[in-house]
Amino acid sequence: MSLLEVADLSVAYATKNSPPTHAVRNVSFSMAEGECVGLLGESGCGKSTLGTALLRLLDRPARITGGTIRFDGTDITALDENALRPLRWRALSTVFQSSMNSLNPVLTVEAQFRDMFRTHTDMTSGEIRRRTAELLEMVLIDPSYMRFHPHELSGGMKQRVALALALALRPKLVVLDEPTTGLDVVVQKSIMDSVRTLQREQGFAVLLISHDLGTVMEIADRVMVMYAGSVVESRPAGEMLHPYSRGLLGSYADPRAETVDVTYIPGRPPDLSRFQDGCLFVDRCPVALPKCATEKPPLAPVGDGLVACHVAPSTKADFADSTFVRSVRAVAEAPPVLEVTGVHKTYTRRRTSVTAVDDVSFALRRGRVTALVGQSGSGKSTIAKLLTGIERPDTGTVMFGDVPVHRLRGRAMRRYRKDVQLVFQDPFAALNPVRTVRQTLVRPLRNHLGLSEKDARARLESLVDTVGLAPAFLDRYPHQLSGGQRQRVVVARALAPEPSILIADEPISMLDVSIRAEIVELLDRLVHHRDLAMLYITHDLLSARLLADEVLVLNKGTVVEDGPTIEVIRNAQAPYTKLLLDALPNPPR
Amino acid sequence: MTVELLTKPSRVPQWLRILWANKKSRVGVVLLSVFVLTAVFAPVLAPYDPESTDFAAALPASGDHWLGTTQQGQDVFSQLIHGARTSLLVGLVAGVFSTIIALLIGMTAGYLRGWVDEFLSGLTNLALVIPVLPLMITLAAYAPVRGVWLIIFVISVTGWAYGAKIKRAQIITLRTRDYVTAAKLAGDGPMRIVFREIMPNMTSLVVVGFMGAATAAIGAEAGLEFLGLGDPTTISWGTMLYWADNGGALLTGQWPWLIAPGLALTMLVTAMTLINFGVDALSNPALREE
Repeated sequence: MSLLEVADLSVAYATKNSPPTHAVRNVSFSMAEGECVGLLGESGCGKSTLGTALLRLLDRPARITGGTIRFDGTDITALDENALRPLRWRALSTVFQSSMNSLNPVLTVEAQFRDMFRTHTDMTSGEIRRRTAELLEMVLIDPSYMRFHPHELSGGMKQRVALALALALRPKLVVLDEPTTGLDVVVQKSIMDSVRTLQREQGFAVLLISHDLGTVMEIADRVMVMYAGSVVESRPAGEMLHPYSRGLLGSYADPRAETVDVTYIPGRPPDLSRFQDGCLFVDRCPVALPKCATEKPPLAPVGDGLVACHVAPSTKADFADSTFVRSVRAVAEAPPVLEVTGVHKTYTRRRTSVTAVDDVSFALRRGRVTALVGQSGSGKSTIAKLLTGIERPDTGTVMFGDVPVHRLRGRAMRRYRKDVQLVFQDPFAALNPVRTVRQTLVRPLRNHLGLSEKDARARLESLVDTVGLAPAFLDRYPHQLSGGQRQRVVVARALAPEPSILIADEPISMLDVSIRAEIVELLDRLVHHRDLAMLYITHDLLSARLLADEVLVLNKGTVVEDGPTIEVIRNAQAPYTKLLLDALPNPPR
Repeated sequence: MTVELLTKPSRVPQWLRILWANKKSRVGVVLLSVFVLTAVFAPVLAPYDPESTDFAAALPASGDHWLGTTQQGQDVFSQLIHGARTSLLVGLVAGVFSTIIALLIGMTAGYLRGWVDEFLSGLTNLALVIPVLPLMITLAAYAPVRGVWLIIFVISVTGWAYGAKIKRAQIITLRTRDYVTAAKLAGDGPMRIVFREIMPNMTSLVVVGFMGAATAAIGAEAGLEFLGLGDPTTISWGTMLYWADNGGALLTGQWPWLIAPGLALTMLVTAMTLINFGVDALSNPALREE
């Protein structure tokens, strides 16, 4: 008998004022005891809603509109809160994306474990202490950390504590919803490794919800892919058949290869408030047949798994039209536009000082991309601030031609900022929600180029055209755009004053993997067509390989390795670079 | 690319639909509309001239004088209807003025921080701890002029501090958003960033602040006039209460004269408070009734 059986489950978000969003649509699947199932999909595909529904934690306005959930032989679809309580945490526990914030800030780690054990068991204080120490050791935290409060632990440690709490009562099923998103790559890797090891040792089942395909492919026994509220494919990790799954997989590549190609899936997911005939993926599918638009494909067995596609059994889809290819290329020497020499920056707070940047030197050249690679806290963002003049270095110089950036203020600084523009990390935060694209883009044109309102408006169409958006987008508000479209607007705003230097601070890390290559392609084209110098800040070596001509690997404020991208990646010398390379997920293709 | 055009834009603006969807604020909107209409059409609705003293003094309620007459022989019902004008005028104007003061001080302090913030926050805190009622009474009592505009001035300069504090707190959380940094890089100046980029993102907070200030102003106006610090010849609910008290309405048993203005005030303040429930839903989608 399977541990979890979900039959025909549907969930809708229904409010009075808008049509209901059918976030989960007739999903059926089962999980065996001790199985590790990965649930993949772009944001908004219903994977978190499904996970929350399984835990019976859905809150208004979401509710289960049909189907059943059987857990361990009991139908829990309509079980009331009192009946659920003994089940929760003991048999069915969870770690959320923000679980590290679910720790109570005023209690020590030990007290949080004690509370939980007291509620669910009748262990004595001594036993509780011993078990807590054991659990912390299990997630690779020294038991002496028990006496600390959550704010004294790092993000990764807090997430480990949350994991230890979830496993404390030896549950049968743990739902992990994006358990490592927002953590550093190296930390992500080690947490996922612990999950896998513990899962093998203790035999609990895991439902791992993630948009990070690489990680899921590496650790899951079986992968389920969701698209627009439905499961479109379910099979052991390996070669996928559904065009959507193949599109997702195509966004990964080995950065060490001679030629690296990554694909993206054009278009965006359908509106979930409507039911449409046929396959929901049809508008984005490169191999769609006429019948795909009219006839809904059932989830049927093909090969060693299930797939819902008319085409998949016979044709293997590829996204040749939406592929970004990067091979090794020679770069012409160009005089530097910006030279950073020996900069130091130390932040002092309450008499403790932290050295954020320690003796860093490099140059940016026209038509070239320089990548700064490192984990959070490595000083990447501080360097970006020094370059844009938001911060000043303690010692060292930043020279823009013969302009000393480190000494600029007032009007001279404003003139300099015309030449240095920033592409932000989070396209959702970087656009003002109450202003249309037109209103946003007109400002830099008026301020920096001194254009009249009329002239500025006349330029807008060609400006959005350079980032691949139709003029109709000018009158949209940010919430009416997808993540990729927003990031295009952010890029357009940075290009508006015709800068000579573009600083891109993790421009793709907040985007779905399925559309990252699209933005990489855009940035690459702009650098070469407009002869821009670009500083690309990232924690991800794959995207650095795709975009950058040269790489600086940064650790704790110092450059540990630098050189042409392919050299650094293929012949990593510094142990830190090797650590970053190892953390890259390497899914079977 | 037509996904977001599916819901047909209705001609009723969204903010009104949200207010209407909330039962409490729907009652408030209806109630307030009644008051506004009464104030606008007061000359038509009132059976007599409210200042005319042609009637017998201290008449009890009757078919000719629904709420009786005052000690001076004025029709109480006509006064009640005209009194709505004063209350709404004071609420609107004093609400707007104190909101503007609160915005200027709160936004400047929160956006610029540093010594400007130290100074303006000090001023705000000072204004918060000074007991407002005695200050209002002192200002009103020593002012060389009398009348409704003095009252509006007094209420505005004493009532802005709380709103300024809230707006400062809000802008401190908004000023480090990426879109603000982006506006700086796009070359926008501080005034434009504060009032064109940031302020539209706190509309509901500003509206709540205005409603609160207007409600307080209506109460304060009635209070000051009841204490005799206004111009006793204007017609307002506050002066009605003042004259009813002076004329010994309690002793002569003229209950309607005393109760009617008080009840009208209570209803108006209740209407504003009920609308505020809906305004909360404007800023926080989670509070919208499904």
